[in-house]
Parts: sequence; C-alpha cells; structure tokens
Amino acid sequence: MKLQKNIPLVLFVFAVNSLVMGCGGKEEPSTQGAESEGKKETTTSEATSPVDMATAATINGKVLFEGTTPKMKKIDMAAEVTCQQMYPEGPRTENVLVNENGTLRNVFVYVKEGLGDMEFPTPKESVLLDQKGCRYYPHVIGIQAGQPLKIRNSDPVAHNIHPKPKNSKSFNISQPVQGMETTKKFSKPEIMVPVSCDIHSWMSAYVAVLDHPYHSTTGTEGTFELKSLPPGEYVIEAWHEEYGSQTQTIQVGEGETKEINFTFKPET
Amino acid sequence: MSDRTNPETTRVAPPVEVHEVEEHKLGFIRRWIFSLDHKVIGLQYMFTALFFLFAGFCMILIMRWQLAFPGKVIPLIGRWLPEAMASGGILLPEGYNMLGAMHGTIMVFLGIVPLGVGFYGNYIVPLQIGARDMAFPRWNMLSYWIYFVGGVLMLSSFLLPGGPAQSGWTSYPPLSIIATSGQTVWLVAMIFIITSSLLGSINFITTILNLRAAGLTLMRMPIFVWTQFVTAVLLLLAFPPLEIAAIFQLMDRLAGTSFYLPAGLIISDQILEVSGGGLAILWQHLFWFLAHPEVYVLLLPAMGIVCEIIANGTRKPLFGYKELVGSFIFLGVMSFLVWAHHMFLTGMKPALSNFFLITTLIISIPSVMILTCLLWSLKGGSIRFTVPMMFSLAFLPLFGIGGLTGLPLGVHVTDIYLHDTYYVIGHFHYVVVTGSLIALMGGIYFWFPKMFGKMMNSTWGKVHFWLTLIGMNGVFFPMFIQGLAGVQRRLYDPTVQVHNVMVQPLNVVSTVSSWILLLAQIPFILNFFISLFWGKKAKENPWEATTLEWACPSPPPHGNFAKDPVVYRGPYEYSVPGHKTDWFPQNEPDAESST
Amino acid sequence: MDTTGNYGWWLPVQASSYAQTIDTGINVIQFAMLLMFVLWGIFFTWCLFRFRARTARRAVYKEPAHWKSWIPDGLVLAFEILLIALYGIPVWSRIMQTLPNEKDANVVRVVAEQFAWNVHYPGPDGQFGNTELSLISKSNRLGLDRTDPKGKDDIVLWNQMFLPLGKPTILHLTSKDVIHSFFVPAFRMKQDMVPGLVIQRWVEPTRVGKYEIGCAQLCGLGHYKMRGDVFVQTQEEFDRWLVEKSREQREEREE
Repeated sequence: MKLQKNIPLVLFVFAVNSLVMGCGGKEEPSTQGAESEGKKETTTSEATSPVDMATAATINGKVLFEGTTPKMKKIDMAAEVTCQQMYPEGPRTENVLVNENGTLRNVFVYVKEGLGDMEFPTPKESVLLDQKGCRYYPHVIGIQAGQPLKIRNSDPVAHNIHPKPKNSKSFNISQPVQGMETTKKFSKPEIMVPVSCDIHSWMSAYVAVLDHPYHSTTGTEGTFELKSLPPGEYVIEAWHEEYGSQTQTIQVGEGETKEINFTFKPET
Repeated sequence: MSDRTNPETTRVAPPVEVHEVEEHKLGFIRRWIFSLDHKVIGLQYMFTALFFLFAGFCMILIMRWQLAFPGKVIPLIGRWLPEAMASGGILLPEGYNMLGAMHGTIMVFLGIVPLGVGFYGNYIVPLQIGARDMAFPRWNMLSYWIYFVGGVLMLSSFLLPGGPAQSGWTSYPPLSIIATSGQTVWLVAMIFIITSSLLGSINFITTILNLRAAGLTLMRMPIFVWTQFVTAVLLLLAFPPLEIAAIFQLMDRLAGTSFYLPAGLIISDQILEVSGGGLAILWQHLFWFLAHPEVYVLLLPAMGIVCEIIANGTRKPLFGYKELVGSFIFLGVMSFLVWAHHMFLTGMKPALSNFFLITTLIISIPSVMILTCLLWSLKGGSIRFTVPMMFSLAFLPLFGIGGLTGLPLGVHVTDIYLHDTYYVIGHFHYVVVTGSLIALMGGIYFWFPKMFGKMMNSTWGKVHFWLTLIGMNGVFFPMFIQGLAGVQRRLYDPTVQVHNVMVQPLNVVSTVSSWILLLAQIPFILNFFISLFWGKKAKENPWEATTLEWACPSPPPHGNFAKDPVVYRGPYEYSVPGHKTDWFPQNEPDAESST
Repeated sequence: MDTTGNYGWWLPVQASSYAQTIDTGINVIQFAMLLMFVLWGIFFTWCLFRFRARTARRAVYKEPAHWKSWIPDGLVLAFEILLIALYGIPVWSRIMQTLPNEKDANVVRVVAEQFAWNVHYPGPDGQFGNTELSLISKSNRLGLDRTDPKGKDDIVLWNQMFLPLGKPTILHLTSKDVIHSFFVPAFRMKQDMVPGLVIQRWVEPTRVGKYEIGCAQLCGLGHYKMRGDVFVQTQEEFDRWLVEKSREQREEREE
C-alpha cells in the first residue's frame, strides 16, 4: 500500500544524517581515531628510518641575542590565587627569555628544506605538554604529524586546551581535575600552532608540527642540535615568537658535523 | 445547566470514509510496525516516549553525580562515557553541558510531549469522541515515524567526535553557532520533530471538530478532549517560527549567513569571519515564541488526565465545566503573549518588559481557576483512593507549588536576582515533573485496563506512588533554597563560586533523592510488564466511568465501537439522583428506553 | 572557601542601594505564595478526609454556586495588580532605566569573554581611550590604543572590579564572543552581556567588602569557572587606588 513510500523517506533521513555528520561547525575537535589516518605507525623511529646511520651528519649551533634584554611584563594572576601563590616574585610573561650566556631560549630550529620527498616513520612515543603553575611546559614543542601529544594538567585548577591550527583539525577540551591526561594528534605539518587556555588567557605555548624528526628547541644554554641528517644541502630555519624567523643554508657531507649560529636582536 | 437535561441534539457527524481494514488479516509489519490504527500508533508513541524519558533520566543521573561529588570518578559507567564527555571516568565540563542540553531536549521534545499528545491524545481522543480512528490515519503513522527518526538522529549525535549539542536545550547563539557538529545534528533532528508535531496537530484539530459521535456537542466533550484540542492549536501556531529559526541557525553554522551574528566577534583571540549585521536576541525571541506555548503543551494533556480521573474518583461531576473550558482556552491564547518573560535581562526596553510582566501575571489567572475548580470538585465527593486517583490528587498541591513559584520569576524586578538560578530549575521541574509527569503516570494506571484488558497491581502501584513522591520532592525542593542563595544554572562545579559553597550539601540531598526516584520506577516497570502478560483480567469498565472510551471492549478492536455510539448527556454524570448506579454513561439512553 | 561571611543558606548580604527593595519583593511574594499554599492545602486535606468514600453516603450531584470559584482568582488578581502598579513598574524603572548623571557617577566598562571579565576604567582623566578590533591581542584583550592620549591612564583589570562606597557607578556591559551575564549576588545585580550590544546598568554599593561576580548565562565549557570579585572601598581609598593603579600599569608598559 503506502509502505513503499516510507522506505525512501527512511533512506533519505539516514543519508541526511551521514551528510550532516560529515559537515562540521566552525570549530571541529578531533579524537585519536579521527587523526590516525595519517602516517602508519611503526615500533621505533630508527627501525625503518630511511637514513643510513653510517653516513649521517649533524648540524648544531647557538642562537645569540644582541641588544638590551627587554623586561618581561607582569602577569596578573589574581584571578587564580592557587597559581599566583606559586610565584613568590610574581609571574612574568615569557615571550623573550635571554640566558645568562647571551643566548636566546625557546627558539625553534628545524630543517625547512632539503629532505626532498624522504618519508619518515611516525614515532609512537608521545611528546608531553604539561600545565604547571598556570603555564605550559615546555613553551615551545616540536612534534611530528600523527605523533601523539600527551597533555597533562599538573595544576589543582581546571585548564582548557585550545590550539588553533590552520592545517589540522582543532580541538577545545578541558581538564578540570589535577592529573588528567589527554592525548591528541595533529595530522598535517604547520609552523606554528598557537596553544592557549580560554580560562587563563595569559597561558601560551607553540607547537610546531613537522613531517620529519629534525628539530630542536634552544634551552637554558641557547644551543640546538640536528642529528642523523642524511648528507646534503639544507635550509635551516630558526623561529622565535617575538622576533620572527631567520634561515641559513648549509651543506653537510658524509659523517660531517657543522656549526651555524643565529642572532636575533630587537627592533629599535 | 442545559446540557444535562436536554434530549439528544440532532447534530450528527458526517459519515467518514471507513478504510476497509477491519475484516482482512494484516501481516505483522502492517499490523504492528506501519499500522494506521490510532491505538497501535498511540502505543508506539508510549513505548518510544517512555524509553526517551528513561534515557533523559539516566543523563541527569550522571550530571547529578558530578554536582554532588565534583571531580569524582563516576561509578560503574564512568569509563564507558565517550571521550568527548569524560576523561578517566570523570565527567568533563563539556560533557556536563552536553548532557544538560540533551536532557532538556529529550525530556521536552522526545519524552513528555510525545507521551502526552502522541500517546494519550492518539489513543484516547478518538475513543472519547466515539470515532473509529483519527481523521488522517496515514498522517498519523507518518507523524510517529518522523518523530522516531528525529529521536534516533538526536541520540546518534552522542557518537559524533565532538559530542552532541552542548549549548543548552535553548541553543542561544553565538555559542550554539561556534559549537561542534552535534549542534547541527540537533537542529536537523528538531526539524524532524517539529514536522511530526505539525502533522499531528492538524490531525487532532480535524478529528475533534469533525468526527464526534452524534449528540456529542463541544460542551459535552470530556475536558481531556478540550485540553488536547487547545494543545493541538498551540503546536500548530507556535512551532513554525522555531522551525524557521532552526533553519536560520543551520544556515549561520553551515552557509555563512549572519542572522544571529553581529560583526566583530572575537572567539578565543581570533576574529570570526562573518558578514555580521545579525542579532543574537533574534533567536531568543523566535525560540521562546514557541517554547513558552510549548510548556503549556507539556501541561495541558496532563491536566486533562487529572480532570478525567478526579471526576471519576470523586463520583461527582467536575466543578465548573464551563469555567474549566474557558480557562483552558484563555490559557492557550495568553500563552502566546508572555514569551519574553524568559528574556527580562537581555536589555529590553522597559515598555516591553512591563508588557510581559502584565501578561505573565494575567496568565496566572486561568491557572488559578483550573486549580480552584479541581480542588472544589473534591468537596461533596465520595473519594475513592485508587492508584490513578492518588497520582491525580498529588498533582494538585505539587502543581500548585510549581505555579506559585512562577510568581517571583514572572515579576521582573525579583527576576533580576532569580533569573538563571536554581530557583528557575525548581519551578519548572515542579510543574513538569511533579505536575505533568505525575499525572501522566496516573493516566497509565487508569487506562491500562482499557488498553491491555488487564488490571495493574494496585499495591505495587501505591509503592511506586509514595516512593516517587518522596524522590521527586527530595530532588527539586532543595533547589528553591539554592536559588535564593544565588546558585546559577548549568554549573559543572558549583563549588568554584564562593557564594554556592554553603548550600552545596543540598546537591547531595538532590542526588540521593534521584537514586530513590530511580529505584521507585522499578515496581512500576515490573508491574507494567507483569500485569501485561499475567495481570487480572479487566472488565470493560473497571472504574465505573461515564466517558465513551469505557463503552467498548478492553482492548478495543480495530474500529473501536461495534456500532457508532450516540451521546445523550455530558461527560461527568456521576451520582445522578434517582439513577440506580452512581455513574450514568454518556451513551446510555435515558430511563424510559432502557432497563 | 568563603571567608567573607557574606553568603549563607538564604539570600546573601545586601551590599547595594536596591538590594533591599528586591529582597522585600522576594519575601513578600513568597509569603503570599506560602499563604495561598497553606490555605489551599488545608482545604485540600480537609476534603480528602471529609469526603472519602463511605458506602452509606453518595456524592453530591448538584453544583454549588459558581461565583465562589472566582474568590481565589479575585484575591490573586488584586494582589497582582498592586504588585504591578506599586512595585513592579516603578522599581524596574528605577533600577533598570533611570541612569544617574554621568558626571555624578563612576563609569566602568566591562567586556566579557570566554571565560573572564575585562574591566576597563577611564582612569584619572575620566575618559576612555580608543579601542580597535585590530589591536586585540593576548596581552591587549580590549584592543586599547595606548598611543591615544586619553588611553594612557586607563586601567584594565582581569576578573576584578574596584568600586567606591556610596557613589553610583554606571557599568557599560558588552561581550566579545558569546552571551554572558554579569551577576553580583550581594548587589542583587544581573545583566546579560550580549555581543553587538552595549547595555548600561548602574549600581550604588552600600557596604565595604569583597563580593563575588558570577556568570549567569551558559557561555561554554568554562562557564562555571568564570568568577571574579568586586572590591568596594571608601571613596578616599578608591581615589588613591585609581591614581596608583593607573600609574602602576603605565610604568609597567613603559618598562
């Protein structure tokens, strides 16, 4: 009778449902499952790495700072007393951190060009992004596309992790309880993905997503090292959140170790 | 009153095209799945709506755990919650908001309305007016299946990676527009659900106006039919603006329009690229234009049930039939004029807010009249404390609390403080849960014998009643105290706000009471199914009632009445002086032509 | 943990000039509600006992007079008319519509965002600096143009507000992203903050102390965490604070 009319309706509805689930809103968070369609994961990076360790080269160096060290602004953490109390001298922003030896911290150095279409296995080990004292540790992270990013809340207050990537799906999740850990992935390379907390808007971190493992972030000594590179010509870029990027081209032969330095100075 | 003493009127309903299904056997699918019989469709609505009510209840149980014990792992099911909602068995703030939005949506649109209108309306109205079925049986079936698909869509949003809708059942933009894809599914599902209601409402109005039995004038209809009629008109006129508003919101989310978005929005340090020029408040007006009449859709069928059961249980006519009918109609009309009392704090001009203050206080008048008539009906009665009667009696004071607590909310000055606090949550739950839901439950006990030909066990019915009463009051009464202390709505962890800390123990009281409420439903569910299969066989008219649904077999066959009934008197002719029994059925001819 | 003692099991402490009026309204209405409930409840309970079914007695068929059923409605209507005319309309007008003169009042801008309140003072010069959408950044959440001479002495606070005692303050309320709601329970003050609109409300604090600000409109996953504090000080303390804070913020910028 009229039964036949209903089957198309039901099918239409399920079609609409599937279509709708495919479309997104303005911000679309991801899960582990949705992201893992990227690289195939292997046990260790070295096991099936395309690099021949016998001829591997190294590029290392320092990032220097020239000029007057700018004073970092105070952060008003009065709204989160629990965190404020962890800073006896009062918390300050960390966009420019100059080490005692005149080098610059939190500069992200990586291979920008030169690897051709070499494919590197996606590491299974996760990279940790911790939240302590209402700050992110580390402030600058390098990770490979598809590699797990483990986000931990070590604070006794709630945080919300809201990165804003342009190339991968973004997410916006909260961790209300101390000790909570969530693992996420970015599927496509991007320099740089800013990360912030919507509850504590002074919190800031940067995640660089690459499709290879050759990156290094300068620490308290201001040094960086890119190991196990196949010999060849490379464009190395150094990125700083305040002072932008600089590049240098360098050629390394088999087994060679070469040193290059970058210098950043504030605009007058 | 002239209705009771006049001889039968000469008005006869025009003959209806009777579809020829009575005689030949139907296959299982056509008999039980895609049935055109209003009784089967009614039962489909009943089972589906009760399932959704239970699902919505489970959602609030999870939320209540978090409210009473913030940040603690949810026992048993915590680890099974989707990743978007919980971490390590602990509910996340976004998960709390998701459950909150879905609880409200499911309870209102997939639970109470389908139960009150889809189940009770469909099953009882044709019987009470002496018709063989609804005016449009195919639309009726379509209505159910569209509702079913809308419901499945709603639930399916829990499987999305971003989780279901999380911007409240009210879906205020801009929050709802920047929300994850669950909101899109919510909007599409709502379009289905609204369409289902619109089809249904046309069906009800036509049926009630055109298919009444001979002699059944409008003023001889049971009050239940009147309430279903007013409800149908409310649905028909109020839903279309929301359907359009939902489409606008879908377009803002997916098609780059800006019906609700002004220019210059900065979401988490990034400028939102929209054309701008829209206004967030527009959604609120369109939403509440439906949602206020909607709350009367939640209420009226339940009040109709209470009227039926009280008339029957007191063994006397209801007090003030005309006043009741007039009040229900007036209530329906006024319900379209009060919507912005939900928006007093949005920055409206005082002229507007004063207008809605006045209309909101006016709408309390018919409600007071209805309660007065029902209370007055008890006076002089011979009250039988059957299980359905107990539920209907409990409705009166509890709905009274719900209605009365609407007063400080309706007065805009006091609403400045009480808006978006737990006082509001207490108010509307008293009206819908201890009000409507209690009556709907009572109705199941009352009409179960008619629908299934068996009696439910009354001892277990009374256990269900008392435990439910204690549970419900234990959950919702503390909320008035919390509201006065200033505890806001929709807080994942109320203890973060200093002014909420003192009254936090009340959250534990509510949560424990919700467990009592859960346990209280076990005797009900068992009673229902055990009686269904092994209950005592019911007579045709076990409650000795007067209305037409009791004048056909239990359960009624397809086509309901062997012969089209003829009505001779009003619906509540109980304890008529001189009549041998204390009930005088509507379709029984007068003394001189019967024994 | 509440160390202020401002909040208990009933309404919070009254800290603004209109808090008492609102409380009176709440208490009077609730008393009327209770009265109605008790009277109805007594009648209800009496009926259940008096008219329970007994075999000897039949129910009464004849309807009693209908005019009596209008009594509860009459009383309710009278009460409500008085409520509207003597309380609702005039008090609403006073609280929501009538703003004090700007030159007699303190002025503060509050811009809500997910999930905090940005509180903007015009500073000792009494003039707000210009704000630009394009200047909004992590460290400049209001997009305040600090090169604008009017903006040099502006104060921007995060989840905190300082108000002088006994002087009305006009708040200009808006939002950067979604709808929030500015709620100070002790002031009995609540106002939705709608993006795209700037809504003005006034408050006159009558009590020195620290009072909580909460958000009263669902604004996302951080809604529950969105809290702040209003510090009410004496006029002298406030004037000192204003100058000092303005200088402090200016010095920090110039470091």
